[in-house]
Amino acid sequence: MIVPMRTVLVLSAVLFGIGVFGFLARRNLILMLVSAEVMLNAVNLSLIGFSRHLEDPRGQVLALFVIAVAAAEAAVGLGLVIALNRNKPGAGVADLSELKW
Amino acid sequence: MPAVPELLAEPSLSSQITFYYMATASIVSALLAVTRRNPVHSMLCVLVLLLHMAGIFLLLGAEFLAAVQVIVYAGAILIFYLFVLMLLDLPGEETRPRFGRHWPFAAAAGLSFAALAWLARMDPLELAAGVVPAAINTATKAPPQGSLEDMGQALHGPFALPFEIASLVLLAAIVGSVVLARRRTGS
Repeated sequence: MIVPMRTVLVLSAVLFGIGVFGFLARRNLILMLVSAEVMLNAVNLSLIGFSRHLEDPRGQVLALFVIAVAAAEAAVGLGLVIALNRNKPGAGVADLSELKW
Repeated sequence: MPAVPELLAEPSLSSQITFYYMATASIVSALLAVTRRNPVHSMLCVLVLLLHMAGIFLLLGAEFLAAVQVIVYAGAILIFYLFVLMLLDLPGEETRPRFGRHWPFAAAAGLSFAALAWLARMDPLELAAGVVPAAINTATKAPPQGSLEDMGQALHGPFALPFEIASLVLLAAIVGSVVLARRRTGS
């Protein structure tokens, strides 16, 4: 291992925190989805780091599944954004208050 | 067949410098991605982040996942995001507030997650190094040979069913996104 495992975990946690901040703070639907991708990447990093640390290939297999699920999430999320944009132009979450009472 | 781990067993200074450069660059580009006002600039920062993460995967011995990261993430998913962003042609995105009024709470949540980093630094992972591998390594008796061969064996062995389920999830996502984004005419 070129660096200690804890360095990889620190990097992963910091990136996940940045993703959480972006997801909660941004007011643009597409950028919120992109922040979720940043979080998924941080998770992948810690999975691969553990896979290297424990010398077990299953961590990499799980990271591959995470990438597949991220692709599915992007497809469905952006389909939703397009459908919402057709009803109400603009991709801000502040405009979407139909279900609020 | 020379094993890959022996190649990387002796940490060389240049690979460590490369790792720390990639770590710094990915943190900076992630920060830029969540704070830029222009969405296209954010996307390009995420692209930089993904490419640096692929480099880190390469350093950690996951060559196949590094390739998948570049091809699938940077090549397909991010371009898909950019396509939708340009398709929508968001009016006045530059003048809107970037963050909601509650952004301090979001920052607190993000910081508390990043505080897990401090926890990870404190814990020397004795649990992960000592107790867990004994149980795990009995399941995979063969010594690691190359990451791609191991991954293939795992994908077609114990992970065959999840692998098929992943393809089903992707199929459901394709059908779902087509149904969601379809223009409803008549009826």
